Amino acid sequence: MSLLEINGLTQRFGGLQALSNFSFRLEERELVGLIGPNGAGKTTVFNIVSGFYKPTEGDIVFCGKRVNGLKPHVVTAMGMARTFQNIRLWNDMTVLDNIRLARYAWLDYSFWSAVLRTKKFRQSEKAIEKRSREVLEIMDLTEYAAELPKNLPYGLQRRVELARALAGNPKLLLLDEPAAGLNSADVEGLIRHIRWIYDEFKISIWMIEHQMKVVMSLCQRLAVIDFGCAIAEGTPEQIRQDPDVIKAYLGDGAL
Amino acid sequence: MQRYALNALFCAAAVVLVVLAQTGALDKYMLTVITFMGINCIFAVSLNLVNGYMGEFSCGHGGFMCVGAYVGSLLSTAFFTNSKLFGPALFGPELAPFLFPLALLGAGLAAALFGLIVALPSFHTRDDYLAIITIAANYIIISLVENIDAIGGPRGFSGMKKVVNAMSDVADAPWMLIWTIIGLFVCVMMIYRLMTSTYGKGISAVCQNEVAAEIMGVNTNRVKIMAFMVSSGLAGLSGALYAHVYGYVNAQAFNILKSTEGLVMVYLGGMGSISGVLMAAVAFTLLIESLRFVIPWLNDILHAVNLLPVGYELSQVWKWVIIPLVLILLMQFRPEGFLGNRELTHVFPRLRRWITFR
Repeated sequence: MSLLEINGLTQRFGGLQALSNFSFRLEERELVGLIGPNGAGKTTVFNIVSGFYKPTEGDIVFCGKRVNGLKPHVVTAMGMARTFQNIRLWNDMTVLDNIRLARYAWLDYSFWSAVLRTKKFRQSEKAIEKRSREVLEIMDLTEYAAELPKNLPYGLQRRVELARALAGNPKLLLLDEPAAGLNSADVEGLIRHIRWIYDEFKISIWMIEHQMKVVMSLCQRLAVIDFGCAIAEGTPEQIRQDPDVIKAYLGDGAL
Repeated sequence: MQRYALNALFCAAAVVLVVLAQTGALDKYMLTVITFMGINCIFAVSLNLVNGYMGEFSCGHGGFMCVGAYVGSLLSTAFFTNSKLFGPALFGPELAPFLFPLALLGAGLAAALFGLIVALPSFHTRDDYLAIITIAANYIIISLVENIDAIGGPRGFSGMKKVVNAMSDVADAPWMLIWTIIGLFVCVMMIYRLMTSTYGKGISAVCQNEVAAEIMGVNTNRVKIMAFMVSSGLAGLSGALYAHVYGYVNAQAFNILKSTEGLVMVYLGGMGSISGVLMAAVAFTLLIESLRFVIPWLNDILHAVNLLPVGYELSQVWKWVIIPLVLILLMQFRPEGFLGNRELTHVFPRLRRWITFR
C-alpha cells in the first residue's frame, strides 16, 4: 500500500482549470519532488492534499484512507504536516508556543480540565512541553525558545516552521518551496538539513522546489507539472533529459 | 509562599471591602459604584477573549449580557420568591444565599447558548462582516426580549430586590458585592487559565494566522465556538449580577451603547491583556462616576471666572462630550491602550515573584 495515492485529481476555480487529471503515488520512506514553472499548480496540489481545498474531481488516499473533503486539522491528525511557501508562523507567540501548538490535534484534555487544572491537564501539558523542547533541541533552536518569530531572521523563521511541522510526528512532510528566499550558503545548509531530517525522523518527504540544485541533489524521484497537467515523472537523471520538461521548464542549458 | 503574596493581598482587599460595606463605613452609593466596577470588569474581560485574544470585532456583547440578566432574574425569582409569573417559590427564600449561584450558572449557560448565534456564522465570515453579524445578534436578542410579554416586554422585569432581600434576611451581608467579587474571580481565573493552556492558545493561533492554525491541526471551528460561548457566557454572568444589583432590568439597557461601553473598556486597556482591561474597566467606571461631581464643580469655577454666560448651567449631558473626548485623545496618543497586548507582569517582571494563577 502506498503512503499517499492521488488519482485523477482535477481542480477548477470558476472557469480556471488549475489542475487536470493529476495522478501520483508516494511510497513510504520516499523523498520526492514536485516541480514545474510558476503557476503550474504545484501549491494547488499541496493545498488539496492537506485538505485546504476540496477537489472538484479525483481521489486522495492517505494511509489507506480517503481524505478528500476532510478538514485540514483531521488530515494533520492522521500524520501529515506541511510548511508554507510564504512563512506562516504565529508571530506574537513565542517560538516554544508555536511548537507546542503543533501538538494541538492530539490534546487529550477538555476545556474544563484546562480551567480546573486537573491532573490530566498537568500531565499532558508537561508531555507537550517536554516534546516541544526536544524538537527545539534537535532543530538547534533552543536558544530562541522565548523569542517571537517575527524578531528572528528569515532563515531561522524557516527553521522554526520546519520544527513546528515536525513536532506533530508526521508520517509525510510536505515542504512548499523550503529554499525560497534563502541565499546560496543557506541553501547548502538546507539541503543537508532536509537529508538529515529524512534520515533522523524516518519520514517521507514531498517537496515543491524551484531551485534545481535542491531537488536534483535530494529527490529520489520527481514529478513535473505544467499548466495543471503532469508532463513527466522519473528519477532526476531522467527528468533532466526529458524533452517535454526541457521544453516546458528548464529551457536551453538551464542546468 | 512568596508567590501567593499578591493573591493574599487581593483576598484581603476583598474581605476588607465586604467588612467595610457591612459595617456601613462604605455608604450605599460607594457600594453600588464598587459593585458596578466589578460587573464592568467581568463584562470587559469576557469581551476581551473575543476582541482581544481571538482578534474578531464583536460589537454585540450587550446582547449576551441581556440574555444573562433576564435568565438570571427569571431563575432567581422562580427559585426564591412567590411571583405572579411562576407561582410559589421553588426552593423557598431561606435557601437564596446558598442556591443563588444556580441562577448565575443558568444565566451563564443560557447566554453561552446564545453565543452560538455569533459563533456559527464566524466559521465563514470574518472582520467587518462578522462585526455586522454581532450587531444584528444584539438587536435580535433585544427585540426578542421586548416582544415576550410574559416577562414584561418593553416595560422591563423586576422582582429581584425580593431575592436580594431574601438573602439579607437569612444573613445580613452585602450579598451582591460578595457575588460580584466571586464572579470576577471565576471570570479572570477561567480566562487566564484558558489562555495559558495549549488548548486556549488555539484562540491566539486563530487570531494570528487562521490558515496556519487549521493546517497545523487546530480545529478552528471548535475553537471559535468555544471562545464565543465562554465569552458570552461570562457576559451573561455579568448581566445576571447587574440585574440583581439594580433590582430591575430593561432590554434597552443592553443595546448597542452597552456593547460600545464594553469595546471602550477593552480598547482602553489593551487588546489581549487581562490586567490592562481590568484597569480600564475600573478607570472607566470611575471616570463616569467622578464626572457626576466634576461637572457641577467645573460649572461653579467657570461661572466664578465669568467664562460661562449667566443663565447657562453645565449639565450632566456634558459627560457624553467629555468621555468621548478622552477617548479621542487616548486613541491619538496611545492607540494600543494602557498595556497593549502585554500583561502587568510583562511590564513589571518582578511582579511575577509575588503572584501566581496556577
